[in-house]
Amino acid sequence: MKQLVDKFKKYLRVYVKMTTNSFVIWLTRRSAFTIFLIGKIVRYSFYFGFLIFLVKNTNGFAGFSGNQILFFTATYVLIDTLAQFLFRSVYSFRQLVVSGDLDLVLVKPVSPLFRSLFGGADPVDLITLPAIIGVVIYIGSLLSPTILHTTFYILLVINGLVISAAFHIAVLSLGIITTEIDHTVMIYRDLVSIGRFPIDIYKEPFKSLLTFIVPVGVMVTIPAKALIGLVSPLGIISSLIFGLALLFFSIKFWHYALKKYTSASS
Amino acid sequence: MSLIVTRTKMNKYLKILEISLQQEFTYKLNFIMWRIRNIMQVLVFFFLWSSVFQNSNVNYFGYSKEKIIAYAFLLIFVRAIIMSSRSVDVAGIISNGELSNLLLKPINFFKYWITRDISSKFLNIIFSFVEITVLFLILKPEIFVQTNFVNIVLFVASLLIASLIFFSIAMLTSFVPFWIPEISWGAQFLVIVIFVEFLSGAFFPLDVFPTFIQNILKFTPFPYLVFVPIQTYLGNESIQLSLLSLTVGAMWALILLFITKKIWQKGLKVYEAIGR
Repeated sequence: MKQLVDKFKKYLRVYVKMTTNSFVIWLTRRSAFTIFLIGKIVRYSFYFGFLIFLVKNTNGFAGFSGNQILFFTATYVLIDTLAQFLFRSVYSFRQLVVSGDLDLVLVKPVSPLFRSLFGGADPVDLITLPAIIGVVIYIGSLLSPTILHTTFYILLVINGLVISAAFHIAVLSLGIITTEIDHTVMIYRDLVSIGRFPIDIYKEPFKSLLTFIVPVGVMVTIPAKALIGLVSPLGIISSLIFGLALLFFSIKFWHYALKKYTSASS
Repeated sequence: MSLIVTRTKMNKYLKILEISLQQEFTYKLNFIMWRIRNIMQVLVFFFLWSSVFQNSNVNYFGYSKEKIIAYAFLLIFVRAIIMSSRSVDVAGIISNGELSNLLLKPINFFKYWITRDISSKFLNIIFSFVEITVLFLILKPEIFVQTNFVNIVLFVASLLIASLIFFSIAMLTSFVPFWIPEISWGAQFLVIVIFVEFLSGAFFPLDVFPTFIQNILKFTPFPYLVFVPIQTYLGNESIQLSLLSLTVGAMWALILLFITKKIWQKGLKVYEAIGR
Protein backbone atom coordinates (compact mmCIF):
# COMPACT_ATOMS: atom_id res chain seq x y z
CA MET A 1 0.00 0.00 0.00
CA LYS A 2 2.83 2.36 0.93
CA GLN A 3 4.49 1.60 -2.41
CA LEU A 4 1.31 2.54 -4.20
CA VAL A 5 1.01 5.82 -2.30
CA ASP A 6 4.67 6.64 -3.02
CA LYS A 7 4.14 5.90 -6.69
CA PHE A 8 1.06 8.12 -6.77
CA LYS A 9 2.99 10.95 -5.09
CA LYS A 10 5.84 10.55 -7.58
CA TYR A 11 3.51 10.75 -10.58
CA LEU A 12 1.67 13.70 -9.06
CA ARG A 13 5.01 15.54 -8.72
CA VAL A 14 5.91 14.67 -12.32
CA TYR A 15 2.48 15.85 -13.51
CA VAL A 16 2.76 19.16 -11.66
CA LYS A 17 6.24 19.67 -13.13
CA MET A 18 5.13 18.86 -16.70
CA THR A 19 2.05 21.09 -16.37
CA THR A 20 4.11 23.98 -14.99
CA ASN A 21 6.55 23.64 -17.90
CA SER A 22 3.69 23.58 -20.39
CA PHE A 23 2.15 26.72 -18.88
CA VAL A 24 5.52 28.52 -18.91
CA ILE A 25 5.98 27.66 -22.61
CA TRP A 26 2.51 29.07 -23.37
CA LEU A 27 3.23 32.25 -21.45
CA THR A 28 6.26 32.92 -23.64
CA ARG A 29 3.87 33.02 -26.61
CA ARG A 30 1.43 35.57 -25.22
CA SER A 31 -0.03 36.69 -28.56
CA ALA A 32 -0.79 33.09 -29.59
CA PHE A 33 -2.21 32.43 -26.12
CA THR A 34 -4.56 35.43 -26.42
CA ILE A 35 -5.69 34.49 -29.93
CA PHE A 36 -6.51 30.90 -28.96
CA LEU A 37 -8.32 32.03 -25.83
CA ILE A 38 -10.45 34.50 -27.81
CA GLY A 39 -11.05 31.81 -30.46
CA LYS A 40 -12.34 29.29 -27.90
CA ILE A 41 -14.60 31.82 -26.20
CA VAL A 42 -16.03 32.96 -29.56
CA ARG A 43 -16.53 29.36 -30.72
CA TYR A 44 -18.49 28.37 -27.60
CA SER A 45 -20.51 31.59 -27.77
CA PHE A 46 -21.46 30.75 -31.37
CA TYR A 47 -22.39 27.16 -30.42
CA PHE A 48 -24.74 28.29 -27.69
CA GLY A 49 -25.97 31.36 -29.56
CA PHE A 50 -27.00 29.22 -32.54
CA LEU A 51 -28.71 26.64 -30.35
CA ILE A 52 -30.57 29.22 -28.26
CA PHE A 53 -32.01 30.83 -31.41
CA LEU A 54 -32.80 27.39 -32.87
CA VAL A 55 -34.61 25.92 -29.88
CA LYS A 56 -36.43 29.21 -29.21
CA ASN A 57 -38.06 28.93 -32.63
CA THR A 58 -38.59 25.17 -32.71
CA ASN A 59 -39.35 24.45 -29.02
CA GLY A 60 -36.78 21.65 -29.03
CA PHE A 61 -36.52 18.64 -31.32
CA ALA A 62 -35.99 14.86 -31.40
CA GLY A 63 -38.33 14.62 -28.40
CA PHE A 64 -36.20 16.86 -26.17
CA SER A 65 -37.07 20.30 -24.80
CA GLY A 66 -34.96 23.38 -25.56
CA ASN A 67 -33.18 23.29 -22.19
CA GLN A 68 -32.45 19.58 -22.56
CA ILE A 69 -30.88 20.18 -26.01
CA LEU A 70 -28.75 22.98 -24.52
CA PHE A 71 -27.66 20.62 -21.75
CA PHE A 72 -26.49 18.00 -24.27
CA THR A 73 -24.30 20.64 -25.91
CA ALA A 74 -23.02 21.93 -22.56
CA THR A 75 -22.03 18.37 -21.57
CA TYR A 76 -20.22 17.91 -24.89
CA VAL A 77 -18.33 21.18 -24.40
CA LEU A 78 -17.41 20.16 -20.82
CA ILE A 79 -16.06 16.70 -21.74
CA ASP A 80 -14.30 17.97 -24.86
CA THR A 81 -12.61 20.84 -23.02
CA LEU A 82 -11.56 18.63 -20.09
CA ALA A 83 -10.09 16.11 -22.55
CA GLN A 84 -8.21 18.82 -24.44
CA PHE A 85 -6.88 20.26 -21.20
CA LEU A 86 -5.62 16.88 -20.00
CA PHE A 87 -4.46 15.24 -23.24
CA ARG A 88 -3.12 18.19 -25.24
CA SER A 89 0.38 16.63 -25.55
CA VAL A 90 -1.07 13.99 -27.90
CA TYR A 91 -1.21 16.71 -30.59
CA SER A 92 2.58 17.11 -30.54
CA PHE A 93 3.42 13.40 -30.19
CA ARG A 94 4.11 12.86 -33.89
CA GLN A 95 7.23 15.01 -33.73
CA LEU A 96 8.64 12.74 -30.99
CA VAL A 97 8.10 9.67 -33.17
CA VAL A 98 9.41 10.98 -36.50
CA SER A 99 12.46 12.62 -34.91
CA GLY A 100 13.24 9.59 -32.75
CA ASP A 101 13.05 11.78 -29.64
CA LEU A 102 10.63 9.27 -28.16
CA ASP A 103 13.82 7.41 -27.15
CA LEU A 104 14.40 10.11 -24.54
CA VAL A 105 10.94 9.50 -23.10
CA LEU A 106 11.39 5.72 -23.09
CA VAL A 107 14.64 5.79 -21.09
CA LYS A 108 13.18 7.91 -18.27
CA PRO A 109 11.94 6.19 -15.07
CA VAL A 110 8.36 7.30 -15.76
CA SER A 111 5.69 5.48 -17.75
CA PRO A 112 6.07 6.62 -21.40
CA LEU A 113 2.30 6.43 -21.78
CA PHE A 114 1.82 8.79 -18.80
CA ARG A 115 4.38 11.19 -20.26
CA SER A 116 2.88 11.06 -23.77
CA LEU A 117 -0.72 11.42 -22.63
CA PHE A 118 -0.43 13.99 -19.84
CA GLY A 119 2.79 15.73 -20.92
CA GLY A 120 1.42 19.18 -21.77
CA ALA A 121 -1.77 20.45 -20.14
CA ASP A 122 -3.34 23.36 -21.99
CA PRO A 123 -3.81 26.58 -19.95
CA VAL A 124 -6.22 28.00 -22.55
CA ASP A 125 -8.66 25.21 -21.74
CA LEU A 126 -8.03 25.57 -18.02
CA ILE A 127 -9.07 29.23 -18.15
CA THR A 128 -12.31 28.45 -20.00
CA LEU A 129 -13.22 25.52 -17.72
CA PRO A 130 -14.74 27.46 -14.76
CA ALA A 131 -17.14 29.29 -17.12
CA ILE A 132 -18.08 26.02 -18.85
CA ILE A 133 -18.72 24.28 -15.51
CA GLY A 134 -20.84 27.29 -14.52
CA VAL A 135 -22.93 26.95 -17.71
CA VAL A 136 -23.35 23.17 -17.13
CA ILE A 137 -24.50 23.77 -13.53
CA TYR A 138 -26.87 26.56 -14.58
CA ILE A 139 -28.54 24.68 -17.47
CA GLY A 140 -28.51 21.44 -15.43
CA SER A 141 -30.32 23.16 -12.54
CA LEU A 142 -33.10 24.24 -14.92
CA LEU A 143 -33.83 20.52 -15.47
CA SER A 144 -34.40 20.01 -11.70
CA PRO A 145 -32.36 16.79 -11.33
CA THR A 146 -32.41 14.60 -8.20
CA ILE A 147 -29.23 14.01 -6.16
CA LEU A 148 -29.09 10.43 -7.48
CA HIS A 149 -29.31 11.58 -11.11
CA THR A 150 -26.65 14.23 -10.48
CA THR A 151 -24.36 11.55 -8.99
CA PHE A 152 -24.94 9.36 -12.06
CA TYR A 153 -24.13 12.36 -14.27
CA ILE A 154 -20.81 13.06 -12.52
CA LEU A 155 -19.88 9.37 -12.67
CA LEU A 156 -20.68 9.19 -16.38
CA VAL A 157 -18.79 12.40 -17.20
CA ILE A 158 -15.73 10.79 -15.57
CA ASN A 159 -16.50 7.69 -17.64
CA GLY A 160 -16.62 9.95 -20.72
CA LEU A 161 -13.13 11.14 -19.86
CA VAL A 162 -11.98 7.52 -19.49
CA ILE A 163 -13.34 6.78 -22.99
CA SER A 164 -11.65 9.92 -24.27
CA ALA A 165 -8.37 8.78 -22.69
CA ALA A 166 -8.81 5.42 -24.45
CA PHE A 167 -9.33 7.22 -27.78
CA HIS A 168 -6.23 9.34 -27.23
CA ILE A 169 -4.15 6.28 -26.30
CA ALA A 170 -5.33 4.61 -29.52
CA VAL A 171 -4.32 7.73 -31.47
CA LEU A 172 -0.86 7.67 -29.84
CA SER A 173 -0.48 3.99 -30.67
CA LEU A 174 -1.53 4.55 -34.28
CA GLY A 175 0.94 7.43 -34.33
CA ILE A 176 3.80 5.08 -33.49
CA ILE A 177 2.76 2.53 -36.12
CA THR A 178 1.85 4.93 -38.96
CA THR A 179 3.55 8.24 -37.89
CA GLU A 180 0.19 9.90 -38.67
CA ILE A 181 -1.40 11.81 -35.78
CA ASP A 182 -2.76 15.14 -36.93
CA HIS A 183 -5.68 13.94 -39.01
CA THR A 184 -6.48 10.97 -36.77
CA VAL A 185 -6.82 13.22 -33.75
CA MET A 186 -8.89 15.73 -35.73
CA ILE A 187 -11.19 12.94 -36.90
CA TYR A 188 -11.56 11.93 -33.27
CA ARG A 189 -12.49 15.56 -32.47
CA ASP A 190 -15.04 15.60 -35.31
CA LEU A 191 -16.52 12.31 -34.15
CA VAL A 192 -16.89 13.58 -30.61
CA SER A 193 -18.42 16.80 -31.90
CA ILE A 194 -21.21 14.67 -33.38
CA GLY A 195 -22.19 14.20 -29.74
CA ARG A 196 -22.92 17.91 -29.28
CA PHE A 197 -26.48 16.95 -30.17
CA PRO A 198 -28.24 13.87 -28.70
CA ILE A 199 -27.43 10.81 -30.84
CA ASP A 200 -31.19 10.25 -31.09
CA ILE A 201 -31.22 12.71 -34.02
CA TYR A 202 -29.13 10.31 -36.14
CA LYS A 203 -30.80 7.61 -38.19
CA GLU A 204 -29.66 4.02 -38.75
CA PRO A 205 -27.01 2.82 -39.53
CA PHE A 206 -25.29 5.95 -38.19
CA LYS A 207 -27.02 5.70 -34.80
CA SER A 208 -25.75 2.16 -34.17
CA LEU A 209 -22.31 3.18 -35.39
CA LEU A 210 -22.23 6.03 -32.86
CA THR A 211 -23.44 3.78 -30.06
CA PHE A 212 -21.43 0.61 -30.54
CA ILE A 213 -18.48 1.24 -32.89
CA VAL A 214 -17.52 4.84 -32.08
CA PRO A 215 -19.04 5.21 -28.63
CA VAL A 216 -19.75 8.94 -28.82
CA GLY A 217 -23.18 8.20 -27.38
CA VAL A 218 -21.75 6.58 -24.24
CA MET A 219 -19.21 9.35 -23.93
CA VAL A 220 -21.47 12.41 -24.28
CA THR A 221 -25.19 11.59 -24.74
CA ILE A 222 -25.59 9.02 -21.92
CA PRO A 223 -24.23 11.34 -19.16
CA ALA A 224 -26.66 14.09 -20.17
CA LYS A 225 -29.52 11.60 -20.40
CA ALA A 226 -28.63 10.28 -16.91
CA LEU A 227 -29.12 13.75 -15.42
CA ILE A 228 -32.49 14.04 -17.16
CA GLY A 229 -33.37 10.65 -15.65
CA LEU A 230 -33.55 8.70 -18.89
CA VAL A 231 -30.90 6.04 -18.09
CA SER A 232 -31.56 2.98 -15.92
CA PRO A 233 -29.01 1.82 -13.27
CA LEU A 234 -28.21 -1.14 -15.57
CA GLY A 235 -27.48 1.29 -18.41
CA ILE A 236 -25.13 3.22 -16.13
CA ILE A 237 -23.25 0.10 -14.98
CA SER A 238 -22.96 -1.12 -18.60
CA SER A 239 -21.57 2.27 -19.65
CA LEU A 240 -18.96 2.20 -16.86
CA ILE A 241 -17.90 -1.36 -17.75
CA PHE A 242 -17.74 -0.37 -21.41
CA GLY A 243 -15.48 2.62 -20.60
CA LEU A 244 -13.10 0.52 -18.51
CA ALA A 245 -12.98 -2.22 -21.18
CA LEU A 246 -12.13 0.37 -23.83
CA LEU A 247 -9.33 1.75 -21.64
CA PHE A 248 -7.98 -1.77 -21.06
CA PHE A 249 -7.88 -2.57 -24.79
CA SER A 250 -6.34 0.78 -25.69
CA ILE A 251 -3.51 0.17 -23.19
CA LYS A 252 -2.96 -3.28 -24.75
CA PHE A 253 -2.80 -1.58 -28.15
CA TRP A 254 -0.25 0.92 -26.81
CA HIS A 255 2.03 -1.92 -25.62
CA TYR A 256 1.68 -3.60 -29.02
CA ALA A 257 2.52 -0.32 -30.81
CA LEU A 258 5.58 0.30 -28.61
CA LYS A 259 7.03 -2.98 -29.86
CA LYS A 260 6.74 -1.62 -33.41
CA TYR A 261 8.67 1.58 -32.60
CA THR A 262 11.81 1.65 -34.74
CA SER A 263 13.54 4.69 -33.22
CA ALA A 264 14.10 5.99 -36.77
CA SER A 265 16.05 9.25 -37.18
CA SER A 266 17.47 9.15 -33.64
CA MET B 1 6.11 37.03 -80.54
CA SER B 2 3.81 38.12 -77.69
CA LEU B 3 1.71 34.99 -78.33
CA ILE B 4 4.79 32.80 -77.76
CA VAL B 5 5.58 34.66 -74.50
CA THR B 6 1.98 34.24 -73.30
CA ARG B 7 2.04 30.55 -74.19
CA THR B 8 5.35 30.07 -72.29
CA LYS B 9 3.86 31.81 -69.27
CA MET B 10 0.75 29.64 -69.50
CA ASN B 11 2.89 26.50 -69.74
CA LYS B 12 4.71 27.53 -66.57
CA TYR B 13 1.48 27.68 -64.58
CA LEU B 14 0.10 24.57 -66.22
CA LYS B 15 3.22 22.79 -64.97
CA ILE B 16 2.55 24.13 -61.44
CA LEU B 17 -1.02 22.86 -61.74
CA GLU B 18 0.26 19.43 -62.76
CA ILE B 19 2.79 19.29 -59.91
CA SER B 20 0.18 20.46 -57.39
CA LEU B 21 -2.18 17.70 -58.48
CA GLN B 22 0.63 15.17 -58.10
CA GLN B 23 1.34 16.53 -54.62
CA GLU B 24 -2.30 16.12 -53.62
CA PHE B 25 -2.07 12.47 -54.68
CA THR B 26 1.26 12.00 -52.88
CA TYR B 27 -0.40 12.73 -49.54
CA LYS B 28 -3.46 10.56 -50.21
CA LEU B 29 -4.19 9.90 -46.56
CA ASN B 30 -4.24 13.63 -45.78
CA PHE B 31 -6.64 14.23 -48.63
CA ILE B 32 -8.95 11.36 -47.68
CA MET B 33 -9.00 12.47 -44.03
CA TRP B 34 -9.84 16.04 -45.10
CA ARG B 35 -12.76 14.76 -47.18
CA ILE B 36 -14.00 12.52 -44.34
CA ARG B 37 -13.98 15.50 -41.98
CA ASN B 38 -15.98 17.57 -44.46
CA ILE B 39 -18.55 14.81 -44.88
CA MET B 40 -18.93 14.35 -41.14
CA GLN B 41 -19.70 18.04 -40.65
CA VAL B 42 -22.32 17.91 -43.37
CA LEU B 43 -23.85 14.72 -41.93
CA VAL B 44 -24.30 16.42 -38.55
CA PHE B 45 -26.01 19.31 -40.36
CA PHE B 46 -28.23 16.91 -42.33
CA PHE B 47 -29.39 14.88 -39.32
CA LEU B 48 -29.86 17.90 -37.08
CA TRP B 49 -32.15 19.62 -39.56
CA SER B 50 -33.93 16.40 -40.54
CA SER B 51 -34.73 16.03 -36.87
CA VAL B 52 -35.96 19.63 -36.62
CA PHE B 53 -38.13 19.08 -39.72
CA GLN B 54 -39.49 15.71 -38.58
CA ASN B 55 -42.95 17.03 -39.37
CA SER B 56 -42.44 17.72 -43.07
CA ASN B 57 -45.35 20.18 -43.31
CA VAL B 58 -43.77 22.90 -41.18
CA ASN B 59 -41.49 25.76 -42.26
CA TYR B 60 -38.71 27.08 -40.06
CA PHE B 61 -36.62 30.19 -40.77
CA GLY B 62 -38.14 30.36 -44.28
CA TYR B 63 -37.06 26.82 -45.25
CA SER B 64 -39.16 23.83 -46.20
CA LYS B 65 -37.76 20.37 -45.43
CA GLU B 66 -36.74 19.89 -49.09
CA LYS B 67 -34.86 23.19 -49.14
CA ILE B 68 -32.96 22.62 -45.89
CA ILE B 69 -31.90 19.15 -47.14
CA ALA B 70 -30.76 20.80 -50.38
CA TYR B 71 -28.77 23.24 -48.20
CA ALA B 72 -27.00 20.26 -46.56
CA PHE B 73 -26.09 18.66 -49.88
CA LEU B 74 -25.04 21.98 -51.41
CA LEU B 75 -22.73 22.48 -48.45
CA ILE B 76 -20.61 19.53 -49.63
CA PHE B 77 -20.24 21.05 -53.08
CA VAL B 78 -19.83 24.69 -51.99
CA ARG B 79 -17.30 23.84 -49.28
CA ALA B 80 -15.31 21.81 -51.84
CA ILE B 81 -15.12 24.83 -54.13
CA ILE B 82 -14.66 27.64 -51.63
CA MET B 83 -12.81 26.18 -48.69
CA SER B 84 -10.40 23.76 -50.34
CA SER B 85 -7.34 25.90 -50.69
CA ARG B 86 -3.58 25.60 -50.55
CA SER B 87 -3.16 29.35 -49.85
CA VAL B 88 -3.47 28.61 -46.14
CA ASP B 89 0.06 27.09 -46.38
CA VAL B 90 1.52 30.56 -46.99
CA ALA B 91 1.61 31.35 -43.25
CA GLY B 92 3.89 28.36 -42.65
CA ILE B 93 6.35 29.24 -45.40
CA ILE B 94 6.59 32.84 -44.18
CA SER B 95 7.27 31.86 -40.57
CA ASN B 96 9.90 29.21 -41.43
CA GLY B 97 11.61 31.28 -44.14
CA GLU B 98 10.75 28.95 -47.04
CA LEU B 99 9.17 31.93 -48.77
CA SER B 100 12.68 32.92 -49.91
CA ASN B 101 12.79 29.92 -52.27
CA LEU B 102 9.57 31.05 -53.90
CA LEU B 103 10.68 34.66 -54.22
CA LEU B 104 13.79 33.58 -56.14
CA LYS B 105 11.74 31.78 -58.80
CA PRO B 106 10.52 33.57 -61.95
CA ILE B 107 6.88 33.18 -61.01
CA ASN B 108 4.22 35.54 -59.74
CA PHE B 109 3.48 34.81 -56.08
CA PHE B 110 -0.30 35.29 -56.35
CA LYS B 111 -0.66 33.43 -59.65
CA TYR B 112 1.35 30.56 -58.15
CA TRP B 113 -1.04 30.20 -55.20
CA ILE B 114 -4.15 30.70 -57.32
CA THR B 115 -2.93 27.88 -59.56
CA ARG B 116 -2.34 25.67 -56.54
CA ASP B 117 -5.80 26.54 -55.22
CA ILE B 118 -7.34 25.58 -58.58
CA SER B 119 -5.69 22.14 -58.42
CA SER B 120 -7.00 21.60 -54.89
CA LYS B 121 -10.49 22.77 -55.82
CA PHE B 122 -10.55 20.61 -58.95
CA LEU B 123 -9.81 17.46 -56.99
CA ASN B 124 -12.20 18.34 -54.18
CA ILE B 125 -15.04 19.07 -56.61
CA ILE B 126 -14.65 15.65 -58.22
CA PHE B 127 -14.73 13.95 -54.84
CA SER B 128 -17.68 16.07 -53.68
CA PHE B 129 -19.74 14.79 -56.63
CA VAL B 130 -18.91 11.19 -55.71
CA GLU B 131 -19.79 11.84 -52.06
CA ILE B 132 -23.07 13.58 -52.90
CA THR B 133 -24.06 10.63 -55.09
CA VAL B 134 -23.19 8.06 -52.42
CA LEU B 135 -24.94 9.98 -49.63
CA PHE B 136 -27.95 10.52 -51.86
CA LEU B 137 -28.20 6.77 -52.46
CA ILE B 138 -27.83 5.97 -48.74
CA LEU B 139 -30.08 8.67 -47.28
CA LYS B 140 -32.61 8.85 -50.15
CA PRO B 141 -33.71 12.38 -49.16
CA GLU B 142 -36.51 14.46 -50.63
CA ILE B 143 -34.60 17.39 -52.02
CA PHE B 144 -35.24 20.71 -53.74
CA VAL B 145 -33.69 21.03 -57.21
CA GLN B 146 -33.40 24.46 -58.84
CA THR B 147 -34.66 24.57 -62.41
CA ASN B 148 -34.52 28.33 -63.02
CA PHE B 149 -31.56 28.97 -65.35
CA VAL B 150 -31.00 32.53 -64.06
CA ASN B 151 -30.62 31.30 -60.47
CA ILE B 152 -28.09 28.70 -61.59
CA VAL B 153 -26.05 31.28 -63.53
CA LEU B 154 -26.09 33.64 -60.53
CA PHE B 155 -25.12 30.72 -58.28
CA VAL B 156 -22.05 29.96 -60.43
CA ALA B 157 -21.07 33.65 -60.43
CA SER B 158 -21.46 33.85 -56.64
CA LEU B 159 -19.18 30.81 -56.25
CA LEU B 160 -16.48 32.54 -58.27
CA ILE B 161 -16.76 35.67 -56.12
CA ALA B 162 -16.76 33.59 -52.94
CA SER B 163 -13.55 31.83 -54.07
CA LEU B 164 -11.84 35.19 -54.51
CA ILE B 165 -13.02 36.40 -51.09
CA PHE B 166 -11.77 33.19 -49.44
CA PHE B 167 -8.44 33.46 -51.26
CA SER B 168 -7.99 37.02 -49.95
CA ILE B 169 -8.97 36.06 -46.40
CA ALA B 170 -6.58 33.08 -46.47
CA MET B 171 -3.79 35.30 -47.76
CA LEU B 172 -4.43 38.13 -45.29
CA THR B 173 -4.38 35.77 -42.30
CA SER B 174 -1.29 34.08 -43.75
CA PHE B 175 0.57 37.41 -43.88
CA VAL B 176 0.35 37.88 -40.08
CA PRO B 177 3.66 35.97 -39.55
CA PHE B 178 5.48 38.74 -41.45
CA TRP B 179 5.07 40.73 -38.23
CA ILE B 180 4.39 38.02 -35.63
CA PRO B 181 6.01 34.75 -36.83
CA GLU B 182 4.94 32.70 -33.80
CA ILE B 183 1.21 32.97 -34.53
CA SER B 184 1.21 31.52 -38.02
CA TRP B 185 -1.57 29.06 -37.12
CA GLY B 186 -3.28 31.25 -34.50
CA ALA B 187 -4.52 33.90 -36.93
CA GLN B 188 -5.94 31.25 -39.27
CA PHE B 189 -7.58 29.45 -36.37
CA LEU B 190 -9.37 32.61 -35.28
CA VAL B 191 -10.42 33.88 -38.70
CA ILE B 192 -10.85 30.78 -40.87
CA VAL B 193 -11.76 28.06 -38.36
CA ILE B 194 -13.95 30.23 -36.13
CA PHE B 195 -15.30 33.31 -37.96
CA VAL B 196 -15.50 31.91 -41.50
CA GLU B 197 -16.98 28.62 -40.29
CA PHE B 198 -19.70 30.17 -38.14
CA LEU B 199 -20.49 33.44 -39.95
CA SER B 200 -20.39 32.17 -43.53
CA GLY B 201 -23.36 29.84 -43.18
CA ALA B 202 -21.20 26.70 -43.35
CA PHE B 203 -22.15 25.61 -39.85
CA PHE B 204 -25.83 26.66 -39.93
CA PRO B 205 -28.01 28.88 -42.16
CA LEU B 206 -27.65 32.49 -41.04
CA ASP B 207 -31.46 32.86 -41.10
CA VAL B 208 -31.39 31.30 -37.62
CA PHE B 209 -30.09 34.62 -36.29
CA PRO B 210 -32.51 37.47 -35.53
CA THR B 211 -32.92 39.98 -38.38
CA PHE B 212 -30.75 42.69 -36.80
CA ILE B 213 -27.76 40.27 -36.55
CA GLN B 214 -28.34 39.16 -40.16
CA ASN B 215 -28.33 42.81 -41.25
CA ILE B 216 -25.03 43.45 -39.44
CA LEU B 217 -23.49 40.32 -41.01
CA LYS B 218 -24.41 41.55 -44.51
CA PHE B 219 -21.86 44.33 -44.02
CA THR B 220 -19.06 41.76 -43.53
CA PRO B 221 -17.55 39.53 -46.26
CA PHE B 222 -18.45 36.27 -44.48
CA PRO B 223 -22.03 35.59 -45.70
CA TYR B 224 -20.87 35.94 -49.33
CA LEU B 225 -18.72 32.82 -48.91
CA VAL B 226 -21.38 30.14 -48.40
CA PHE B 227 -24.74 31.56 -47.34
CA VAL B 228 -25.33 33.89 -50.31
CA PRO B 229 -24.38 31.31 -53.00
CA ILE B 230 -26.69 28.72 -51.43
CA GLN B 231 -29.51 31.25 -51.04
CA THR B 232 -29.06 32.19 -54.69
CA TYR B 233 -29.33 28.55 -55.75
CA LEU B 234 -32.38 27.92 -53.56
CA GLY B 235 -34.06 31.04 -54.94
CA ASN B 236 -35.01 32.23 -51.45
CA GLU B 237 -34.56 35.81 -52.61
CA SER B 238 -35.85 37.60 -55.71
CA ILE B 239 -33.51 37.86 -58.73
CA GLN B 240 -33.07 41.60 -57.98
CA LEU B 241 -31.99 40.90 -54.40
CA SER B 242 -29.69 38.10 -55.56
CA LEU B 243 -28.08 40.51 -58.04
CA LEU B 244 -27.62 43.06 -55.26
CA SER B 245 -25.98 40.43 -53.03
CA LEU B 246 -23.75 39.45 -55.92
CA THR B 247 -22.67 43.07 -56.44
CA VAL B 248 -21.88 43.56 -52.74
CA GLY B 249 -19.93 40.28 -52.77
CA ALA B 250 -17.97 41.39 -55.84
CA MET B 251 -17.15 44.68 -54.12
CA TRP B 252 -15.88 42.80 -51.08
CA ALA B 253 -13.73 40.61 -53.33
CA LEU B 254 -12.19 43.68 -55.00
CA ILE B 255 -11.59 45.50 -51.71
CA LEU B 256 -10.02 42.43 -50.10
CA LEU B 257 -7.82 41.69 -53.13
CA PHE B 258 -6.61 45.29 -53.08
CA ILE B 259 -5.84 45.12 -49.33
CA THR B 260 -4.12 41.75 -49.83
CA LYS B 261 -1.77 43.23 -52.43
CA LYS B 262 -0.96 46.24 -50.22
CA ILE B 263 -0.29 44.09 -47.12
CA TRP B 264 1.89 41.74 -49.21
CA GLN B 265 4.02 44.67 -50.36
CA LYS B 266 4.35 45.95 -46.79
CA GLY B 267 5.08 42.44 -45.51
CA LEU B 268 7.90 41.91 -47.99
CA LYS B 269 9.63 45.00 -46.62
CA VAL B 270 9.77 43.53 -43.11
CA TYR B 271 10.39 39.91 -44.18
CA GLU B 272 13.61 38.66 -42.56
CA ALA B 273 13.73 35.05 -43.86
CA ILE B 274 14.02 33.73 -40.32
CA GLY B 275 15.17 30.12 -40.33
CA ARG B 276 17.08 30.39 -43.62
